[in-house]
Amino acid sequence: MKFARLEAVANGLLLALVGCGPAPIDPSRQVGPNPYLPPIHQYLLPPMHVAKVVGWNGATPTVAAGLKVQAFASGLANPRSLYVLPNGDVLVVETGNPPGPVSRPKELVMNWVEKMAHSRTKPGQRILLFRDTHGDGVPDQETVFIDHLNAPFGVVLVGNDLYVANTDAVVRYPYTTGQTRITDAGVKLCDLPGGPIDHHWTKSLTASPDGSELYAGVGSNSNITENGIQAEVGRASIWQIDRATGAHREYATGLRNPNGLQFEPQTHTLWAVINERDELGPDLVPDYLTSVRDGAFYGWPYSYYGQHIDPRVQPQRPDLVAKAIAPDYALSSHVAPLGLVFSSGTNLPVHYRAGAFVGEHGSWNRAVLNGYKVVYIPFVDGRPSGPPEDVVTGFLIDGDKARGRPVGLAVDGKGGLLIADDTGNSVWRVSAASP
Amino acid sequence: MLSANPRSTLSLGGRSLHAMLVPIPFVCFVATLVTDIVYWQTATMLWADMSAWLLLVGLIVSLFAAPAGLIDFFGDARIRQLRAAWIHGIGNVTALILSIFNCLIHTRDAYTSVVPSGLILSALVVAILLVTGWNGWALVYRHGVGVRQTGQQ
Repeated sequence: MKFARLEAVANGLLLALVGCGPAPIDPSRQVGPNPYLPPIHQYLLPPMHVAKVVGWNGATPTVAAGLKVQAFASGLANPRSLYVLPNGDVLVVETGNPPGPVSRPKELVMNWVEKMAHSRTKPGQRILLFRDTHGDGVPDQETVFIDHLNAPFGVVLVGNDLYVANTDAVVRYPYTTGQTRITDAGVKLCDLPGGPIDHHWTKSLTASPDGSELYAGVGSNSNITENGIQAEVGRASIWQIDRATGAHREYATGLRNPNGLQFEPQTHTLWAVINERDELGPDLVPDYLTSVRDGAFYGWPYSYYGQHIDPRVQPQRPDLVAKAIAPDYALSSHVAPLGLVFSSGTNLPVHYRAGAFVGEHGSWNRAVLNGYKVVYIPFVDGRPSGPPEDVVTGFLIDGDKARGRPVGLAVDGKGGLLIADDTGNSVWRVSAASP
Repeated sequence: MLSANPRSTLSLGGRSLHAMLVPIPFVCFVATLVTDIVYWQTATMLWADMSAWLLLVGLIVSLFAAPAGLIDFFGDARIRQLRAAWIHGIGNVTALILSIFNCLIHTRDAYTSVVPSGLILSALVVAILLVTGWNGWALVYRHGVGVRQTGQQ
């Protein structure tokens, strides 16, 4: 039986030698609840199409009609996530993680590609605080809020406890309203899976509406188990962490790289954006936005969108595949969603007040680039109700040069949408064109 | 006056450079088949990683071994008259091209980096190398390519 399959694949191999893979399809076929999923195409030479980083040089992103955009902060060192404190102070997380150990030749190439796709600025390991005392939406005070962190990403405040998700632990700091600098060393609440491999290192963080639990996104330690299944313990999952004791359980699993953890304001359901697997073709597997169900398994690594088996994973787990569920809403392939915020708190035109914004960092392994924008997805009764709309674009120019790349999103105290741009080393603020 | 034995054009201190280099990719590609088989049987990534490194080292040394062999092949007409030299050369170039594809297959992630395409290519390359090796040894041990004449002349 094995050898019948060998023969089939040997024939496929001959075909692969002549052609370099299917042409990418229109991403609009892969958005929404029922994305088109083409057959798997495994490359001989995966396309590494990285947008050349050119910077903004005074330019600004393009916004949809009825909106305006301004620079909120610039000259930063790899700003990736944002958090707005109750008094309106904006926290900007400067972060990055060094490449892990090289276990095979491919990683030498991948590390180089990753370097090309990002800003040359050495990432900060700290959180900055920006304050707008004039009330014009643009900050006029800046302080280093917490310094010397370890690849921080998620931040959440519950009462007077400020939690920071470093790549290897959740740390709690005491915070009082109006504070502009924390020098306290902090107390570790809970370890998170960190190095030495730490493939997906961004640990997103949020709190349950009642403040009793924290939720942390823990991405997988590989694209598709190529670092061994033993490297995936506790990963590709969303952890529920008891705020009082630091004890945790895996709230949902099979989520390759979950980010942008947020509670939907109307239904109080946890949502996240997930980066799906690479190297199955230009249009597999679509990244997605989904509500996260307690105890659910979303497929990674064994399958995707329910029971679509990934042949790269052995041994397979039919028992897990059988219970894998499909996510709610596809965003199309390789867009790399890293930021999510619900729009109900914004002061944007009414059209944008009942849905979610998603920051799409952009593709690196697709011949035609995809993502590199912020989209709006309308919601009705706590569920997506229509196709995504481009809200902030212009991160790409000439089809293959990147001025910046959007990552984390937040809504500020005045209802503006903030966008962290790690490659442009800026934070952008989008607001209504006429108040 | 030409010596009786075919000459190695590219040699160091009278030793053929090709003969010195060619065992390295040979061993690397044979070992790739071994580690591929172990990976196929165990699905333990360490073995697939080993295959990827072995292929890479084999290819890098081939970049030097192959031109050295071609220089010897074109450097002495008597070598080109040997059937074994043609089999050795064409076979090794084929094995090298297959190994380049095999190296690309091995950049895939996890199981399909080896099974089945990588494993098939690794086995094919070793089968070719057995033939080219046999003929290569014939070139030296039977036809005396690159072997210095001692005393008898």
